Amino acid sequence: MLRNVFLKTLRDQRRALLWWAVGIVGLAFYLALLYPSIRDNAATYDRILKAMPETLAKTMIGDFGSYGSPEGYLNSSLFFMAAPLLFLIYAISVGSGAIAGEEEQGTLDLLLSNPLPRWRVVVEKFVALVIGTLFLALVQWLGLIVGAVAVNMQISSGRLAEINLSCALLGLAIGTLALAVGCLRGDRSLSVGVASTVGVAAYFLNSLAASVKSLEPYRKLSFFYYFIGADPLKNGLDAGHVAVLVGVTLVLLAVALVVFERRDVAV
Amino acid sequence: MNVIETTGLTKYYGKARGVIDLDLGIQQGEVFGYLGPNGAGKTTTIRTLLDFIRPTRGQATIFGLDTRQRSREIRQRVGYLPGELALYDKMTGAEVLRYMAYLRGGVEWKHVEGLAARLSCDLSRPIRTLSHGNKQKVGLIQAFMHQPELLVLDEPTIGLDPLVQQEFYRLIAETKAEGRTVFLSSHILPEVERVCDRVGIIREGRLIAVEDVATLKARALRRLEIHFAAPVPQEAFARLEGVRDVTVDNGVMRCTIVGTVDAVIKAAAQYTVVNVISHEPSLEEIFLAYYSGGESHAAQCIP
Repeated sequence: MLRNVFLKTLRDQRRALLWWAVGIVGLAFYLALLYPSIRDNAATYDRILKAMPETLAKTMIGDFGSYGSPEGYLNSSLFFMAAPLLFLIYAISVGSGAIAGEEEQGTLDLLLSNPLPRWRVVVEKFVALVIGTLFLALVQWLGLIVGAVAVNMQISSGRLAEINLSCALLGLAIGTLALAVGCLRGDRSLSVGVASTVGVAAYFLNSLAASVKSLEPYRKLSFFYYFIGADPLKNGLDAGHVAVLVGVTLVLLAVALVVFERRDVAV
Repeated sequence: MNVIETTGLTKYYGKARGVIDLDLGIQQGEVFGYLGPNGAGKTTTIRTLLDFIRPTRGQATIFGLDTRQRSREIRQRVGYLPGELALYDKMTGAEVLRYMAYLRGGVEWKHVEGLAARLSCDLSRPIRTLSHGNKQKVGLIQAFMHQPELLVLDEPTIGLDPLVQQEFYRLIAETKAEGRTVFLSSHILPEVERVCDRVGIIREGRLIAVEDVATLKARALRRLEIHFAAPVPQEAFARLEGVRDVTVDNGVMRCTIVGTVDAVIKAAAQYTVVNVISHEPSLEEIFLAYYSGGESHAAQCIP
């Protein structure tokens, strides 16, 4: 696990990844176990939700049809807010740690004194971020499948895979933003601050735009819109939306490479 | 061809001075000491050579390769010890070294073990449990393990206990004997005196002198103390050329001399001399002479 920067970066995360996996599986099981009681009282829940102010409902749990349906339930209770939030936290912490973290700890000098080009260090750390994020998406997917089978929730495992992948792509886009800010300035708090602000703003922009007319035109500026706007759990992935998330990620990676190549590394 | 060559190398951090118009030439096989107080620009120079920071103007080459364009090739052949060494806290010494070795494309592990034994470094302990000196040993092993042609060591002996320092000096001597080159920075003068062939003195970002260690000593200020059988007049010595800070106290004359002691000895010969005590100048005094920017001022600094 010490053969290259990529493996070593994953190795550094091995314990953290394990605990993330435990937490994500735990959440998936908890939500699955809760589902039968919601399904049995679907009409009541839908009535309650209808009685809620529209903006509040759309902002906090989204707008995914019946809350009692498997898709509506998982979208509202997990994919609309909790899961992307978890993926953002993971990806931002890894993305900001990649360069800015090593720079603040002072280990970057030693790392870069090896015969590696700088871009290679960034790319290997980026790939570790990709693998870690996809691993968590896989874990969440498996946790939900097992949970769904246990409580006899009728849901397509293919569609589940698609929403989890979409969640991972959202995490990657914001995580790569954190990486890029860290490459621009070796300041971990700046990197975390910028990426989480963008993440939270994107969430609110997408969810508010669903009910606030004046925000509607700006909804497409939100990362969250491309994550869940086309409802991948019900409709499958939208190629255009995937392309946007992947494209933004690659552009941010390119920015990270260019700015890091040019600047002075702090002691 | 010089192993390290800088021409007009200048680095500003914004408006803050790093180094200014540095012209350095380090020859193959020599041990070059880069001497200066903290903040003089030693680390800036070294980190520019390794392409961690980019010069504002001027340029540098190592092995004849431009440090901006060919840095990867250069780093393949250089062993580097950072000034403020930080290692991965959660890894053991052996893990850190294995990682560095893999990134270098492989290192003969017996070299690592040999170095660890010589420096009595326990590689099985996690870095976070190590004292500063023990971390420094891991850093040194890391710099030497691939037997690089050039070693660039920023304050290498900080935190090392005296026995390990001796072993480090032997390592430097062996490295030189093998025809390899060492560039080390230090503010510890006896160390430079002990291990270096040549010394560059840097002050406030400017290289103020490059000398052989032997020449430096010869140019130095000497303190002389002459004991006479009877009291002597101060005027007999005060106006001699190259002599200053003359004090006469009850038949004991003390003074500071630049260059030769001839004039003082000849003047003293008129009286009955009981004893002559000459203090070999320490590099500390030599350094003061350069560093304070003028010999008269330097003389006042000497107690």
